Amino acid sequence: MMFYIMYFIADNDGLNNMSGGPQLRTLLTMGTFIIGMFSVIFLFYTNSFLIKRRKKEFGLFNILGMEKKHISKVMLWESFFTAVISLVAGLLSGIIISKLMFLLLLNIVQFDVTLNYLVSMQSLIGTTILFIAIFVLTLLNNLRHIHLAKPIELLKGGQVGEKEPKTKWILVIVGIITLSIGYYIALVTESPLAAMSKFFTAVLLVIIGTYALFIAGTIALLKLLRKNKKFYYQTKHFIGVSGMIYRMKQNAVGLSNICILSTAVLVMLSTTVSLYIGMEDLLKNRFPKEIAVTVDNVSAEQTNTIESIIKDEAKKHDITIKDALFYRYLSFPVVQKGSSFIADRSSLNTPADLTMITLIPLNDYNQMEKRSVTLNEGEVLLFNFRGEQIEDKITLNETSLKVKEQIEDMTIDGKSSALIVDSIFLIVKDEMAMELFPAEELNKTNTKNLSFYYGFDAEGESNQEIALTKSLQKTLKDEGFEAFSEGAEESRESFFSLYGGLFFLGIFLGALFIMATVLIIFYKQISEGYDDKERFEIMQKVGLSKIEIKKAIKSQVLLVFFLPLVTAVVHIAFAFKVITKLLALLNLTNISLFAICTAGTILIFAVFYGIIYALTAREYYKIVS
Amino acid sequence: MTILEVNNVKKVYTTRFGGNHVQALSDVSFSVEEGEYVAIMGESGSGKTTLLNIVASLDKPTSGEVLLSGKSIVSIKDKEISAFRRNNLGFVFQDFNLLDTFSLQDNIFLPLVLSGKSYREMDSMLKPISTKLRITDILDKFPYEVSGGQKQRAAVARALITNPKLVLADEPTGALDSRASDDLLKIFSDINDEGQTILMVTHSTKAASHAKRVLFIKDGMVFHQLNKGSMTNEEMYQKISDTLNIIATGGGRNE
Repeated sequence: MMFYIMYFIADNDGLNNMSGGPQLRTLLTMGTFIIGMFSVIFLFYTNSFLIKRRKKEFGLFNILGMEKKHISKVMLWESFFTAVISLVAGLLSGIIISKLMFLLLLNIVQFDVTLNYLVSMQSLIGTTILFIAIFVLTLLNNLRHIHLAKPIELLKGGQVGEKEPKTKWILVIVGIITLSIGYYIALVTESPLAAMSKFFTAVLLVIIGTYALFIAGTIALLKLLRKNKKFYYQTKHFIGVSGMIYRMKQNAVGLSNICILSTAVLVMLSTTVSLYIGMEDLLKNRFPKEIAVTVDNVSAEQTNTIESIIKDEAKKHDITIKDALFYRYLSFPVVQKGSSFIADRSSLNTPADLTMITLIPLNDYNQMEKRSVTLNEGEVLLFNFRGEQIEDKITLNETSLKVKEQIEDMTIDGKSSALIVDSIFLIVKDEMAMELFPAEELNKTNTKNLSFYYGFDAEGESNQEIALTKSLQKTLKDEGFEAFSEGAEESRESFFSLYGGLFFLGIFLGALFIMATVLIIFYKQISEGYDDKERFEIMQKVGLSKIEIKKAIKSQVLLVFFLPLVTAVVHIAFAFKVITKLLALLNLTNISLFAICTAGTILIFAVFYGIIYALTAREYYKIVS
Repeated sequence: MTILEVNNVKKVYTTRFGGNHVQALSDVSFSVEEGEYVAIMGESGSGKTTLLNIVASLDKPTSGEVLLSGKSIVSIKDKEISAFRRNNLGFVFQDFNLLDTFSLQDNIFLPLVLSGKSYREMDSMLKPISTKLRITDILDKFPYEVSGGQKQRAAVARALITNPKLVLADEPTGALDSRASDDLLKIFSDINDEGQTILMVTHSTKAASHAKRVLFIKDGMVFHQLNKGSMTNEEMYQKISDTLNIIATGGGRNE
């Protein structure tokens, strides 16, 4: 049972040591860390489950005259052998499967790396140390249990008379409040940046709420059901409800663990999958034009020089420039308070108030959008890119400006979408651009003139495009311009490695968590089966038929199984909006794609779940009858 | 009228791989009339519990037949057997077999709920019985909160609430102290006086001495039979002790 994680850890470590790309490596290291943490928790859990079952055995040994010293010795040898066997088996299968996994990763990331596969000593040693440590810890924990307990207690083991759980109304209320606040935050958050900071608060609240409600809420609900005499005194409900009250007392924590785990799995899978699938979309968002050049401190005359340089370079690389777009601009960060913007950043309270302002001269705007707008003194056009609704009167550093028109859509530099702060574009009268730029920023950033943006779609071979992107920056710099160029083709690779890595990690961890979830539930149900055996025997004597028993079991197992899943789905439904906001930060704005991915992962998860449910119910029935 | 008829019942247990045959009951025949109070006595391993299980339709005999009100319970289909048990038989067990997850009241309701009775109906049936068994005050308590005697009285209530034709009791005093035992036996006598037929398996002489008729089982056969007639409990006790002595000191198989 422990082998699963074992080899996953092993092969992940193996991957980690070989993979190219520092980003990917950090990602995978993080993954290794998570899996390591997880295996500690999981092994402890299964261990406690096993030791409970074995208490009776140890008690008997003790009564038959074995000292605790001897029992400890027996346990030491036992865990030594299991550790050795599972480590060897785990590492071997890890070595084999890691090769497969590595190929899969390369495929996902679309890297052309030759496969120089070898066994990584470092990861072997790391894995061994980690698991030996875990085994030692569990062993110590078991020994502690044995030493503390008296023989009679050991003999009796788990069957101490259970008391009916009390309804903890305070906890119920706490649960409801935290959960609803969490949901509320998730629903009302609009700005992506705020989403980021608030998301964690919301997650925390929802986690607390989940625990509280599973622990107290379910019991309260079941007790209410029991009070409803008409509902309660029906064969199916009668057995189910009363059983569940006790079930929940023991399992509430476990079920909420499962619930949160599955939520995490679903979120992780759906986001990484949609990021990976939506990668082209994403590139398109990030790079509206395939190649973009920005040059700082450019006068109106110099723009022509730059343009001709770009055209020359493109010709040299056999690339045709299509749909060129250029404008001059200035951008600087401000602190936003409603409709007023202040350049002085000392008044900044939360990062969410930070806004990027980009000034574009009217001439350039008219040229670019093929319009002929005129502006009076103190008038501007405003394009609000991803920000709160703004009124028609704004103040910028104590200058009052009247918004003549709020522009609906505008082609802009993709960089804005990569920024996490809100962005506002102001189209101003030509000469005002420099005036509006805050004086203190002028010195800080060494800005003397406007910046120039030149973006175009390129037609040509992709490696030529990459070469062009690089040579553009170089040539312009040689000419004395502060230039920076970037291209979609050039970034594709790093995008693939980043999101491909995330995708791989998501699938990997997702699979691991699903497995863990399923195993936890399975063990839980089986151990409950043993506890319930007696109950069902009595009921059979009193006159419960086998068919009715089967029905009762089915509904009980069904509830235990699907309560966490349903709750997880509800969580996700509420989190959906915030997650789309967060994805927008990562340039993914295709909400329907994300929705489909979410639905897909939920479906797959549910199918897995359903299979395990069927297996468990059968196993449970076998034990009980 | 004969309520229960057991004819030539034989039960052989076979170990899993068919190697060993253990004969629990070799040839048992007896009958119980309506309103009777019959005790079956025998030492451990004499086949008492096997016999009771067969009568309770929890187990099937290897051969022979068991008739309840003239109807063979051996031939009842599996599907109907639970309902049959529920409607015709009441059970009292040595270890109470109350469910920890139910309050006493719900435990008593259990067979009724299984038959799909409404709450109102159940409640009206519960009242007279709980008064009679003096458990009205503790109905809302849970099994682990009350004493053994109270638990057993609740179990009796559960057995009686369906108005069964026959109450089967398996060592009902086995887990009780002497005061609670006396109490329970008195209850049994009382309900028997009201017309309830009872079949009790026990190895307590005292418990058996309250019965109107005592059957002795040895080595899987009915060995001897005692009728109480007009004897007092004490005289009956003496008589049973004597009989047990004879059996124990090897009275052999000469009936």
